[in-house]
Amino acid sequence: MHKLLIIDDDVDFLEITSVYLKDKGYAVETASSPEEGLQKTKSVEPDLVVLDVMMPEGYEGFEVARNIREQLELTELPIIILSCIHDRKQVPYRFAPDKDYLPIDVFLDKPVKPEVLLEKIEELLGERRVNPSQIL
Amino acid sequence: MMEKYDVIVIGGSAAGLTAAQTARRHYPDKKILVIRKEERVLIPCGIPYIFGSLEGPKQNLIPDMAYEKMNLGLQIDEVVNVDREKRIVETKNGQFAYDKLILSTGSYPAMPPIPGHEKEGVFAIIKDVDYLTRLQDKLHAVKNVVVIGGGFIGIEIGDEIKKSGVENVSIIELEEHCLSQSYDEEFCIEMEEHLRSRGIRILTGSKVMSIEGGQQVEAVKLADGSTIPAEVVILGIGAVANSDLAKKIGLRIGLTGGILVDRAMRTNDTHIFACGDCAEKVSFFGGQPSPLRLASIATLEARVAGANLFGIRREAPGTIGVWGTAVGEMGLGTAGLTEKMAKAHGYNVVSAVNESVNRHPGKLPGASKIKIKLVFEARSGVLLGGQIRGDASTGEITNAISACVQSRMTAEQIAMFQLGTHPLITASPIAYGIVNAAEAAIGKMVK
Repeated sequence: MHKLLIIDDDVDFLEITSVYLKDKGYAVETASSPEEGLQKTKSVEPDLVVLDVMMPEGYEGFEVARNIREQLELTELPIIILSCIHDRKQVPYRFAPDKDYLPIDVFLDKPVKPEVLLEKIEELLGERRVNPSQIL
Repeated sequence: MMEKYDVIVIGGSAAGLTAAQTARRHYPDKKILVIRKEERVLIPCGIPYIFGSLEGPKQNLIPDMAYEKMNLGLQIDEVVNVDREKRIVETKNGQFAYDKLILSTGSYPAMPPIPGHEKEGVFAIIKDVDYLTRLQDKLHAVKNVVVIGGGFIGIEIGDEIKKSGVENVSIIELEEHCLSQSYDEEFCIEMEEHLRSRGIRILTGSKVMSIEGGQQVEAVKLADGSTIPAEVVILGIGAVANSDLAKKIGLRIGLTGGILVDRAMRTNDTHIFACGDCAEKVSFFGGQPSPLRLASIATLEARVAGANLFGIRREAPGTIGVWGTAVGEMGLGTAGLTEKMAKAHGYNVVSAVNESVNRHPGKLPGASKIKIKLVFEARSGVLLGGQIRGDASTGEITNAISACVQSRMTAEQIAMFQLGTHPLITASPIAYGIVNAAEAAIGKMVK
C-alpha cells in the first residue's frame, strides 16, 4: 500500500482529502504546518507528498519542497503542489515545476476535482512513471 | 437569440488564427467564429524587438485582415465557461452555440519562486500590450537590467535592451551555457562571445538566490554570494500551458500541465480540439511528454486541428523542436536533437560539421560563412537533428533540415540531393553545406 503525506494548514481540506484517498486504498498521513510537514517527510517516509504553498500567507510550501530535495536529499520523492496561489494573487504568470527553482513534479491549482488529484497520484506512483523533472 | 456556429475557436494568436484559417480552407461552407479577449494581438516572437528595433508594442501586432478576407467571424470577448452538454460557449457578453470547438488559449510565462519576485521592477514577458508598454517606459529611465534565463527570449530581449541604450545588461543562465537546451556547446559559445562583444554581461552556471531591495528591486543575489545591481529584472525562463478553461470544464490534463490531446488534436470530448501552447505535447523522438512551446509546433497543431474538425485528415507527428534566433548579424538555427540531447535520449550518434560560404565565389557581396552540424543515428544513418550558424539565410536552411528530420531521411539520401545553386544566392554546388556534412558523417559511419 502506498503511503501519502498531505501538508496543508487547512484542516478541513486535510480531513476531506484523507478520507477520499484512504477510500481509494492509500495510507494517508497529514501535517498542518511547514515544520511538521518536513519533519513527517523524514519520519513517515511517504511515497508521495501533496503540498500546499501558502501556509498561511507566504510561500512556505516552495521552501518545504526545496528542503525536501536539498536538506533531506529526497531527490526522487514525487511532490504535487496543490495551491490557490495563482487565483489568490491574481498574477499574470504561473509557478511551474522547474528542476532548479521549483523542484516538484506537478503543480495543481485549487480547487481541484478529487479524481484529478487521484489521477496525478496514480501517474506519479505508477509503474510507467514519467518523472517530469527528467523530461528532456 | 443565441448565435450558432459550426466552429468556434477560443484564442486568436498564432494557433487560434491558423486553426480558423485551416478550418476555412478545408470547410468552405462552415460558419466559423474566433473569440479572443485581446483587442490587439501581439506577434509572440516579435516581442523582444519592441524594446530596441521597433518603436513599441503597437508596431508588433498580428493584422486582423485575415478575418474579413477568409470570412471568419471575430468576437472580442472573454470566455467564462463552456457547457459541454449543450455545446454552448458562455462569454462575458453573450452565449454562442457550437458544433466543434477549438481551444487555443496559449500559455503563461513561468515564474520561478525566487524570494523577492513580487517586487516592483520585476517583469515576466506577458503577451499584453499595456503591460509591455509599462515595461518599455520603465526601461527608458534605468541603468541596470538583469535578465534571468539565457534561452532565446532572454538573449534576444537582453540584446534589444542594450541596443535601446541601457548601460548595463546582464543575462544570468543556470546551465553551463546559454541556449544549451537546443544547441551544442560550440554554437552556444559562439553566441555568448557575440553577445559579449555587443557589451552584454553573460553569467552562466549561475543560480539566482533572491531578488533584493525594498518595495522596488535594487539587485539580484547569486548563489556565489555576489550581487548585481538592477532596477529592472526580466524573467525569461519559459512558458507553461494556459489550460485554465479546460480544467474548469473537466477536460483531461497531461503531465506537463497542457490539455491532453491525441495525434489528431482531439481532447477527451469528441466535439473539442486543442492546439498550440495550451495543448500537451509529445516528442517526435520517442514520444515522451515534451515541454517545448514554439510557434513551429503551435501552427502545425493548428493545421491539424482545423483540418480534422469534421473527419480526421491529418495527424501531428510530435515535437521536432525547430526554431531560430538572431543577434545582430549572427543567426542560429536548430531542428531536432543536438548531439548532447540525442545521447541523453539514448541514441548512438555520429555527427559532422561543415563550414562553407553562402556565395560562390566567396568574394561576392553578401557572402557569409555558414556552419552546419548534422547529427545522425549511427546504425541507421537517420537524421536526428541539425544546427546552423550563419547570417539571415540560416532560417531557411534550418527549415530544410527540419523537413529532412521529419521525413526521417538518412545521410545517404541527403548526400544524394539534387541542388539548385546560384553564385548570388547560395553556396557552391561543390561545397554545399548540408550535403557535405552528410558525406562527412557517412565517412565516419563506414569506418
